[in-house]
Parts: sequence; structure tokens; C-alpha cells
Amino acid sequence: MTAVRQHLDRLSETDDLITITEHVHWDGMAAEVASEAIQHNCPVTLFENTSGAVQLASGVYGGADQFASKEQQPWQRITQALDLSADCSYNELIKRLAQWNSASIDGQLTDEAKATVRNDIDLYGLGLPTTSDGRPLMSLGLLVVEKDGITTWAPIKGQAQRSRTLRLSVPQAFAEWCPPQADASVVLGVSAAPLIAALQGWTQVQTTPAVPNLAAGLTDVSLTSIGSRTVPADAEVRIDGQMSVEPQVEPDDNATKAAWELACETTTIKIETDTIALREQPIVPFTPLGEPLTDDLHLLCLVETAKLFRRVNNYWGASPVEWIQLPVEGRLGFCIVSSEILYAGFEWQLANTLFSFSDLFDKVLVLDEQADPTNLARSLDDMWVKAHPANDWTFSEPNASRATAPVYRPDENGSQLYINATWDPRWDEEYIAPRVTFETTFSENVLESIADRWNELGLGELLDKQEMGDVHE
Amino acid sequence: MLLNEEDSSVPLFENVEEARLVGDPYRGSQRRPWDRIALGLELPTDLSYREYYESVIERLKNPVDPITVAADDAPCKEVIQTGDDVDLLDFPWPYIHAGDGGRYSNLHTLIAPDIDSEWVDWSYHRSMIHDSETASVLLLAGEQTPNMYYYKYERRNEPMPVAIAIGVEPAVQYASVMWIPTGRNEAEFAGGLKQGPVELVPCETNDLLVPATAELVIEGEILPNERRDEGPFGDYFGYMNGPRRSMPLFRVTGITHQTDPILPFCVEGVGVGHTENTTSSMEIGCVGPDATLGLRTAGFDVECCAPWKSTPRTVYAISTEKTNPSYLHDMANFIFTTWGMLHVDFFVFVDADVNPLDQRAVLEALALHADPDTDFHQFGVETMPKVPLNIYQTPTEKGDVQTGTSKAKTSKAYIDATSAESGRENCDIDDVERKYRAQKILKRAGIESETFSFIAPGESTQ
Repeated sequence: MTAVRQHLDRLSETDDLITITEHVHWDGMAAEVASEAIQHNCPVTLFENTSGAVQLASGVYGGADQFASKEQQPWQRITQALDLSADCSYNELIKRLAQWNSASIDGQLTDEAKATVRNDIDLYGLGLPTTSDGRPLMSLGLLVVEKDGITTWAPIKGQAQRSRTLRLSVPQAFAEWCPPQADASVVLGVSAAPLIAALQGWTQVQTTPAVPNLAAGLTDVSLTSIGSRTVPADAEVRIDGQMSVEPQVEPDDNATKAAWELACETTTIKIETDTIALREQPIVPFTPLGEPLTDDLHLLCLVETAKLFRRVNNYWGASPVEWIQLPVEGRLGFCIVSSEILYAGFEWQLANTLFSFSDLFDKVLVLDEQADPTNLARSLDDMWVKAHPANDWTFSEPNASRATAPVYRPDENGSQLYINATWDPRWDEEYIAPRVTFETTFSENVLESIADRWNELGLGELLDKQEMGDVHE
Repeated sequence: MLLNEEDSSVPLFENVEEARLVGDPYRGSQRRPWDRIALGLELPTDLSYREYYESVIERLKNPVDPITVAADDAPCKEVIQTGDDVDLLDFPWPYIHAGDGGRYSNLHTLIAPDIDSEWVDWSYHRSMIHDSETASVLLLAGEQTPNMYYYKYERRNEPMPVAIAIGVEPAVQYASVMWIPTGRNEAEFAGGLKQGPVELVPCETNDLLVPATAELVIEGEILPNERRDEGPFGDYFGYMNGPRRSMPLFRVTGITHQTDPILPFCVEGVGVGHTENTTSSMEIGCVGPDATLGLRTAGFDVECCAPWKSTPRTVYAISTEKTNPSYLHDMANFIFTTWGMLHVDFFVFVDADVNPLDQRAVLEALALHADPDTDFHQFGVETMPKVPLNIYQTPTEKGDVQTGTSKAKTSKAYIDATSAESGRENCDIDDVERKYRAQKILKRAGIESETFSFIAPGESTQ
């Protein structure tokens, strides 16, 4: 398993990490810098000098806007963090996540916790980035609770209130599973697999507390025991205390939500902390909230996509779907599916099945199975040129439940839209327009001749120089 | 094509018989499609999109009349062929895609006069070479020159004198793709763009004036009631469109050219997705500023009107301060009945602080702010005209209508992706200050500053 600091080392080796050595205070400025870096497709940002006990990192599980670069895919850092090979395709990643493999963790409780208790520090002393109201932000972390011998991990978002109190938003299903009061740990600076597993376990319709097993099913995880709880051994920060569910506290609808909060009902819990444990020179990844391209969006887009892929391809006794994508650029409000169209009308069935399986979006774009999941620009091009503006933009009657990602009509039902950018299966073959691409535009002998003459004309060298230029740009 | 796909340099083919060829000379980079167009106008190539758009708009507001020069001073007259000497097949017209119906000249300026006035229209219509002295020209009714041909010359059974100027100076090429109002000569606006008069010279075989610095000029006439096969062709949609159709016949009467002329061409069809070509870059670098100016001139409060970066012609994004529904309807109605009639199917309206060229930001607006209940507006189902180059109509629906438009009509749509009702907050001065400080920190850490909106204003709205 790739721990956070190993992941950062790899990113550094591939020039995908930039270290900010100048002093950036955690109070507001760190989040602002992170937000600007993410929105401008910068490398992962490591803040070395923030006045707090931890170093902050941003964009660790994020990635570039697909429109800005055809070379970088936004899921590359997550693929890397899951120990998948460098050439792992988008489809392979989604299929891996869709497997929902569960593995035993009995043999993996072997490691010592890397973090050790520090008595000289409180929640403010950690130096976590602050929210708009000046309180330390808890993001990209997990809440660890044990009940009846089963440990689970849940996603969190919240803030420190005073030096020893945490108030966190958690999935309501998790809160219902928990005892009303329990010993708990909050871990920050954990690897990708536990974060993904927690989303899979608690933000989807079918919930499960077996989150550590899901994480172990994704990749090897390093675990240890704290009290009766099983926690990721390599967590950079661990905060131990007593948790209590606060059902009387209504979630603040005006608070900026983490991406996962759009995927499930939430409730609030409080933790009174006892101890804080840190690794040597701890590094805490965080994600600004409510901004484009943030890490929490990237993670949830993949998790939701994997869920949809698993469900639709196991639904009709056939597996026509090539790929699904909730492009992170659409901030969970837009879904693309590429599929074989089994029969006339299948695209309608497919789009509405996706609406049934997810509450996040109310717009689905259906593409043919030849569409490339790594070319979002071309996928949307098909939406504009291949779908008939009168006949292929189809709106449902206005009684559908509202989607949770869009910001309009928060309390009212409405319509859903699907766009059919596929060839009509009733069309004659001669109606189908071939794509203009290098591969499809020329005959075999011309392609061979170009391949032969490419370097002879000095074009290979030219492109190499160009790529070098791009690197330095 | 491969150089386009790889976002690399512009290729000049020197070792071609009778002429040299240059592929997509105005193609920009994927990130900054306007850069090579700016170069052609001697504008700095590090302008942000806003700076570039406003610079072009300012130049278009100040047209400059052309001047006429003597043939001896016109480079395009170095070689003159008329009568029996004329042979179109002497020149290396490229065969661009394997499925094309023939060889094409597709990056040029077509010059045609109005029969009833002094107005001369410059436009951009591809021509498929047939033999030594004929070609078919893609004339789609609804555009200015085609309308002159179908509804004036052909109705009076008169040939339309034309000239096709190939390898023209950049400002002339740019003005030819813009939608300059009827009755106004593109030559004046080309002069505005270059901030100096365009030099014109009389043709040898008709009364037209052509750009004197053109590499090659084909003189002739488009005959009434004569048609030749045209297409199929891999067009700007990114797909081969068909079927082969009938288009007006261009008969050549003279050819003049520079010695060893350079003939530009566009590898059409690859300017989609991540790849740029001359058409897609000129859409962003020429048509976008022109459309922005046109809307402002018509009284609309438009921040910027720009094509969807990876889909030339079919969809535009417009950022505007005013977002009330009737205002957006009126603007869409204006566009769809004027310059946006044939080619444009969609407009996406976004808030004034959204960069229309930032596809991520526009997609986000579409996903989060465009309500399927209230924000998608279709203009009449199956009531609007459409070019037959599209791929969503069947060959039967496209037909082979005498005037070039599709037989079946279509619809147009606009999408209100503004956030007016969601109470989106504008950046206050403190936000701007914090963002500026954040960007400076990133710059000092080694990040290039050119993509930052406050360090390099206008590049991004974020």
C-alpha cells in the first residue's frame, strides 16, 4: 500500500509536486493557495512552512482539468495511489473499483501505529487550514468507530470548535449504525484505499460497515489496533476521544458541503478529544470545499461511477456499457455513458436507469461504444454535433426527484434530461458518418508511407522538441 | 493532420510540383488558439483572450478603405494565364481525406459582387476541383454570397462573376470568415484589422478587384442553373459528411499567381476535441470577436461571445451581465435569425464572470445551473434551416435541395446556464486581493504565471 508520504515522493519524482517553502499561514491563506493551484491545474502543492505542527498538502488525489490537457487524466494520481500500474486505463480503474472486493484483515493487523501521542498539542496547534469562519477544517479524513467487534471507517467533514472539540458531518447511515456514544478516532493523512472504501461503504444506497475489508480488497492496507478499533497504521495524525451523535443538531444547509455530502443524508457528531498522535513531520492532505476540481470531487466521481458501472452492467443479463464517467469538471451534475445500443430505445432505458441509481445528477449524455473515455472534449463534441437538437435532447415530465449536485430549485421536483448522441440503430449503415481522424482518414498504404517518412522528414524530432517545450512551459 | 493532432509546428511542403503547400497556417495551440492569428495581425502573442478579443474588436471598429494598385505592383500578377492557357490541374490541390469526393481548395477568399449595388462580398466557400477549367463551389443558401447567387444572379439567369484568391494576407483571410453586415465590404474591415489599406488589383477577365498580394487568383464565373457533384468531405463537424450533392458550377476564365506560389489548405475535420486546425482557430480568433462586436452593436450587453473551443461553429458560449429570461430569449432570437442561422445549433449563456473559452467552467455552469425544467429553450421543433453538412440528419432528410440547405428543417436551442437565481456571489475586493497573493506565492514557488487571472489578467476568470 502506498502511504501518503510515499505517494508524495512518487509525485515528486514525476515532477507532479511543488513545494512551497515560504511561510504560508494556515489561517485562510493555505486554503486560498490550494484553491488557486487546483483551479489552474498546478502540480500537487506541499506547504512546508505553515506555523502549525503539520505540513499541509493539496491536490494529492486530484488532477488536471481534462479540457486543459490531453496528456493528463484527472484520475492518474488516484491510480498511482492505489498501486495500480502506470498504464492502468480508465476502464481498468473503474472496473477495479466496481468489483467491491472485500478481503479479510485478520492477518494485516501487524503494524505499529506510526503516529505517537503528543501531549503538547491541541486541535488548533495542528495548524489545519481554516474554514471561512476561522475554524480548523477537517477534510479528507476518516472517523473510526468500533461496535460489537466490527470496526468501521466513515468519511467526515467538519471543524474544530475550541481546542478539544470536533464537530463533524458524517453519513446518517453511519450515525445510525454507531452506538450513541463510543470511543472513536479521527485519522488524517491516510492513503487512498481507506478513503475510497469509506465512500463505498457509507455514501451509497446499500451501506456496509465492513469498510476496512473493502479497503483491503482494493490494495494491501497497513493496519493497527487502538483500543478495540482497527485504524490505518500509517495515518499521519490520529485524534482519539469520545464520540457522541448529536441528532438534535440539524445539519447547516448553508454550510459548504464536501462532495460526499451530496451523495447521502448526513448528521452531526461531536468528539471530545483525549489525545493527539502525530508521525514525525506529519503531512496532512486537505481539500478546499466548494471549489472546482477538488480531491473530494475526484474521489466521489470515481466511486459513484464505479457503482453505476457495476449496477448497469449487471442489470439486463448483458453488459453493453463500455464506460461511465461523472466528469469531475461537471462537479457531479453531469453523467456520460458510452454503450452499445442494443436496440432502438435502449438509450432511453439506459439513461433512466442511471437516474434511478444515482441522485446526484439530472443530465445524462449517451455515447456510442466507440467513444474514448480519455477524450472529454471529443465526447462533448458528439453531444453538440451528433445529437439532433430537436429529437435527441429528451426531457422527462417534471416530477422527478431533484438531483443533489445542481444548485437550482433546492426543494422542488423537476425534469431530467438525457441527450442521445448515438447512431440510431434503425439507420442504414450508409447513413453512419465516419469520424475524421488520422487513422480513419487515409488508406493503409498512405499511413505506412507517413510512418516511414515521419522521421525522415524530421517530424519526430520536431515533436520531441515540442514535448520538451511543453514540459518547460 | 498528424501535426495538427500533435499540436506541433505548421508544415510547409516545398517539394511539390508547380507550387508549394502550407497546412493550416493559422492553427493555434490547444491552449491558446488565437496566437498564430494574433501573429498575423502583428499583435503580441502573449495576450490573454480578453486582451486579444478587445484588440480585434477595436480594430474592427476602425475600418480602413482599400487602395487600388497597378498590375505591375501586384505580386499576384507575376504569372498571368487566360484563354487556352488556363489549367486548374497545373496546381497541386490537395486530396485531404481518403473519403473525399475530390481534391479541394478550402482555405481562400471567394470574391463576388452584388448585382444591384457596389457591394462586394468576401467569403469562404470550399471548392472541389473537377477538371482543367471547372470546379463546384459549396454555396449554402442563407449566407451572403450564396443568397446573391441563388436569389439574384440565377433568377435573372446571369452568371455571377467571381474570383477565388488563395494565399491572401492574414487580415483578408480573417475578414473573409467573419460575418460582416450586408452592404459593407470585408476589404474595409481587413484594412481595419491590419491598420492599413488592403491593396487591390483588377482581375484580367472580369471587373472584380482582388487582393494584390494573393499567392494565386482564380478568375471566373459561377454559372446559373449549372450544377456539378460536390462532396463528400470530411468537414468541420469531425465526421465525413455525405452524400455527394449538386452544387453550382464555377467556370475558370483566368489564373494569375506569384512565382512558385504557396497554397494554404486546411485539414478540415480535425479541429474538434483537443485538436485545432485553421477553421477552429479562426472561429475563436476571428468569428468570436466579430460576433461579440456584432451583439454589442445590436445593443446587447455581452461580455464575450466565443465558440465552444472543441466544437467549431455548432455551439457558442456567451457571457453576459444581464440574465433575465426575456433578454436571453431576445438575444438568442436575434442570433438564430441572423449570422447563427445555418451553422449554429446551440448557445449557452453564462454569467459575466465565466470565461466562455474555459470549457470546464462552461460545463460546470451547464451541469449545476441549467435546470432541465426551465433553462433549456428550443426554438421550434423542425422549423429551422440547417446546413446539410451535419451528421444527425439522414441522407433523405438532407436531400439535395437546389439551394443547398437541408430538405428537412431542424431546431435550435439555447441554454440558460447563468446563476442569477442561485445568488452566486461576486468576488469582493478582499477575495481578489487574497487570490492575487495566493497566485504570487505559487509563482514564487515556480509555477508559470501566465495562466493566473490576476497576475496575467483575463486569461482566466478564476
